[in-house]
Parts: sequence; structure tokens; C-alpha cells
Amino acid sequence: MTFPIAARALVVVSLLGVAIGARADDVSALLKAADKYRMSGDNMQIDTQISVFNTDGSADKERRYVVFAQAKHQSLVLMQSPAEKGQKVLMLGDDYWLLMPGSQRPLRITPMQKLLGDASTGDIATLSWADDYTGSVVGEEPCGEPVQPCLHLALQANRKGVTYQRIELWIGKARHEPVRADLYVQSDKLAKRARFVMDKPAAPTTVIEMLLGDQLTNKKETRVRYLGRKEHIVPEAWLNPMFLARNPALE
Amino acid sequence: MSVARVATLARVAVVAIAGGAAVAPCAAVDVNGYLRPAYIGMTAGERGPLADANRIAPGTVETTRSGPEIDSELRASGYGLSAVGWLQAQRQEGDRWRARGHFDELYASGSVADWQLSAGKKIVAWDVGYAFRPNDVVEQEPRRLLLETTPEGRTLVSAEHFDASTAWSFVFVNPTHAHSERFAAEPAFAARFYQRDGAVDWHGFARLGARTGASVGAAAAWVASESIELHASARYLQRADTLVLDANAVAAAPLGLVRVDPWTATTTHRIAQALVGGTWTNAEQMSLLGEAWWDGTALPGGAWDGWNARSRLLASLSGGPAPARAIAGNLAWQGSAFGASSSLRRANLFARLSWQHDKWQPAIDMLWTPADAGHVITASVGWQGDRVRVDGGLRTYGGPSSAVLAQLPTNRIVYVAGSWSF
Repeated sequence: MTFPIAARALVVVSLLGVAIGARADDVSALLKAADKYRMSGDNMQIDTQISVFNTDGSADKERRYVVFAQAKHQSLVLMQSPAEKGQKVLMLGDDYWLLMPGSQRPLRITPMQKLLGDASTGDIATLSWADDYTGSVVGEEPCGEPVQPCLHLALQANRKGVTYQRIELWIGKARHEPVRADLYVQSDKLAKRARFVMDKPAAPTTVIEMLLGDQLTNKKETRVRYLGRKEHIVPEAWLNPMFLARNPALE
Repeated sequence: MSVARVATLARVAVVAIAGGAAVAPCAAVDVNGYLRPAYIGMTAGERGPLADANRIAPGTVETTRSGPEIDSELRASGYGLSAVGWLQAQRQEGDRWRARGHFDELYASGSVADWQLSAGKKIVAWDVGYAFRPNDVVEQEPRRLLLETTPEGRTLVSAEHFDASTAWSFVFVNPTHAHSERFAAEPAFAARFYQRDGAVDWHGFARLGARTGASVGAAAAWVASESIELHASARYLQRADTLVLDANAVAAAPLGLVRVDPWTATTTHRIAQALVGGTWTNAEQMSLLGEAWWDGTALPGGAWDGWNARSRLLASLSGGPAPARAIAGNLAWQGSAFGASSSLRRANLFARLSWQHDKWQPAIDMLWTPADAGHVITASVGWQGDRVRVDGGLRTYGGPSSAVLAQLPTNRIVYVAGSWSF
């Protein structure tokens, strides 16, 4: 009988669709839970320190940033290190601007130009996955140190402006805290491997460090340390590209 | 502008803004800056009227200024005040160490209702280009410098309004200057409108100079894809400052040898400037910039043809009855034409290839003037550490003997600099 085969196939496809739909909802909820460990509110000011280490463990460079991560994919990054002091990057969705302190002239830049050395601006300023990625739960796997039961999520970007087009993410099964991630760029090359360090491993409440291992070029390790987080809604004018030439008052 | 004059202006500005404006709160004064020792080595050109002047009468015109220098910059901001101070100690060949300094910026800022106000000496930089910016009508910043240097701001009063995607800026620049001041020193009102429209930034500009009158302009920058950005800018000017050879004085002088610089200030009418360009950047952080522009304020081709003819004529007088000093002096005055406009030739092409590789930033660029095949090539490399930055490079000028760029007083510049940021 040919008809029952087609009917069975239809039923299977329908059930699969329902299952995938349910999984998508699950994944969205899981990502929102994981996001809370890095960004506890929609509008935050996050003081970030980046330290880059050579393959032999010696210190390579250090940078500090103040990041105003706001709702609707809006971020303002103020460079604080002596070498970069006065530089600013504004990200509004998929649109980017850069201000160099000497010229006081905001420049429109491409997504490619926003990649900055060992830690891209995306690593610093993008702290949520739920809005930018969809995907599925691959399965349950052990991960982390000490080893714990984890959920393995396969994520695909749902907009083009994100730094990583694909992410393989492992989150704790019990509390859904991020544990590790493989980050893939547009060409589907593995660019970085990330590990997340929690404040209290036994009862985690927040990510205090993200360790990024470069897999593409120099194999260096970048430590992104979150020095401080607080709720901060910036005035609308601060997110106007032309406002970059003015000095926002830091608290 | 003297430091004392700027300080007085800043005090006036602070009083004015404090009278009616809310000064931005700030927890502490933010201070930073850099110290940059450098060596600049220049080689004099062997072609052109200035080289001929020195051949005929050595020492007529100083063409190169090699030597060490130490630049320092101190930035401070807080309590509604911002300042950028610059100090330089320099010793050029055959001279002693000399020091100079000024404030690049010294201004007060605050807000009234939704308007951001500033007064004092400030950098207000507009437009979308890299090598040429026709609508940078306030700052008129020098372009393609060898070392990244903060430009000296202009004395101004400004009011700006920002919302999510539009911005209005109104600037009264050089308010204390005489109406007879020329180029960027001219008093003027300027306005800019900005509109963000997705992947495109739109800009509209207007300027009313005390002497040169009105100009209007527009510019756009468009991120066309993940790796490509395109930009364009155009401006129409009622009048512009330039220089012209006093042909009557030259014609009346015996053998064309005049007693004063025959290049005199004048104004040209109904001029256009336009620029198109774009950048391409790949995932490896290699970037290619290309720009083409037309600068109607530059001397026309006919003027440069006349300039070349006069240079040849003057040089041919050597060995004749005319005094060598007179010939050399007239040749040296031919150099005045280099200051007629920010562009030497009206049509220009520019390309720059750069690479950001870890801490290294090598780059090579070329400016080409199609009218006479003149060119400037610059190769540079920078290394950026946590606090230390090292830069080095070479710039050469060349082209056929009739090319203006090949006849500049300096033929080659090498530089090395190390800066320490704090």
C-alpha cells in the first residue's frame, strides 16, 4: 500500500514539526536563562577588562572598556585603556560607528571593521544569545570542570550583524548557566572556544570571566573579566552616532 | 591664538553656559595624554622652482626642516570643561631646541532643555571622506598627515540637538576674528543636519562666511555589505579664497622679475567640490580604501601651465644680465602657489591598503593627480602595545618634471616615532 506510506510520512513530518517547534520554545527559554548570568537586565553598564595571553602563558596586552549594553541590540563601548582612550564604538543592531579621539568625527564602519584584535567588539558588547540565535537541543552531555551534566545547544544566528554565525553552546543542565561554547564565523570556521567562569561554582549567580581561545590564527587566549555590572539606561541622545563626538558623563 | 586669549574665552564661555545650562555631572576629572619623541628626516627636491632658486643663489629658500622633536598632549575633562593641551620641543637642522604649545581644545559644555551647548576652542569635524572632506567647513582639518595628531580646534559657539536618529548642529566659528580673515580663519555660521536611515547616513551642510558668502553641501555614507562601505560628498560654494598670479605686475616688470610676491589673494566664484569613495575590509582585517575627488578651489590646469612656463622662463634667465638674487627670489615666490588651496590639482585619485595584524599595522597609500601624473606614495608601519606605540614610514613625491607634486620643496620624508600613553 502506497498511500499509508505517504500518510505515515506526513504524520511523522507533522509530529517532527511539532517537536521542533516545542524545542525552539525550549531553546529560547534556555537561552534567556543562560543570558541572565551575563546580563541581568535589559539596560546595563558593564565595566570589562580584557587580558590577552600568549601561547606560553605570558601576558600580551590588556584593555579596559565601559560597555553600555542597551535593549534592542544597542551598545556603546568606551575604550578606557591608555592606548585607546577616547575611542568609542556604537552598535545599533547591524549598524556600527567608530570615533577616534583625534578627529572627533564619527565614522560609519562595516561589520568587518568592528572586529578588533583578539577580542572583537562583539565579544565585549554582545552579552545575550536569546534575541540573536535560534536552534535546537542536541542532547545531554557531560561538560565543564568539574564535570557536570550539561545540555548541548546548536545555535544559528537569526540576523547577519552578529560576530558569530553559529554557536555550539553547553549550559548546565540544572541551572542553565553557560559552561562553554564553540564560536563559528561566517565561513563556518571555528574561530574561538569560550569557557565561562562563574562566581560560585556550586550555586552560580553570574559569569565573572569568559576565557576565549583563538582557534583561527594566533592561538592566544583572551580573558574577558566583568569588573562591574549595574542597571543603566543611557539617554536616547547617547545612541545617536553624531553624539559620539561629545563626552558622555561616566558614573 | 594665544593661550591667554583662549583662557579668557573659556572663562567667558563657562560663565555663559553656567548662567543657563545644566553642566554634565561627572564624578572625577578624567586625565590622559601621551609623550611622543620622533625624528623627521626630509630630503629637498631637486626639481621645481624652489630647487632652481637654491641652485642659482644657495640659501634663498629653506626647503627642508629635518630634526628630532618631542610632542606631548594632555587631555582633561570634568565638571563641564574639556581641555587638550599640546606642547612641542623641536630642534631642526642648524637651529637650537625651540618649544611651543597651545590648547587644541578648551571649552565649556552643558545643556539647556534638549540642546547641547559648547563654547570655547573646540574641534568640530564634519563630512564622510578620508583624504578629502569638502564639507568639513568648520574645522577644515589637514588630511593625510604622517603621524596621527590632534588638530587645533577653532574658537566657536555651538548648539546641537540629538534624538534617536537625527541631529542638528549650529556653529558660529571664529566669532572674534576680523571679517578679512581667510580660509579656515574666516568668521562663519555653519549648520549640519544628520539623518540615520538604516544602512545609510545622510548629512546636509550649510555655511555662511563673512566674506566668502554661502555654500551648501550634502554627504552620505552607506554600508553596502558586511565588508563594503561607500561614501560621497559634494559642496557648492558661492565664493572661495585662492591665490592668483598678478599677470599685470609680471608683464610690466623687466624680464618678468618683480620686486614683491606676485601671487596675491583673490576670490573665485561658483565653485564645486565633490568626492566619492569606498572601503573594503576582509575578515583578516585587510582594508582597501579608494577615493576620487574634484576640488574646484584648486588652481585650474591653465594656471599650472602658466606657472610651469614662468618657472622655466625664470630658470632660463640664470647666467644672463639679471641679478642672481632677483631670479632666485622670483623662483622662490613660485612656491606661494602651493598654498592656494588644500588640493594642488583639481582632479585627484587616492588609494590606501592597510592591514591590522595583531599589534602590527602596515599600510601603503598613493595620491595621484591625473592631469600631470604627479604622485605621493607613503609606506608606513605601526606597532601598538599596552602603553607604547611605535610608528615609522617613508613618503616620496614624484612624477614627470612638469607635475606639481614633483616640484614641491620636499622630495622625501622619513619618520620614526615612539609614543607613550598615560
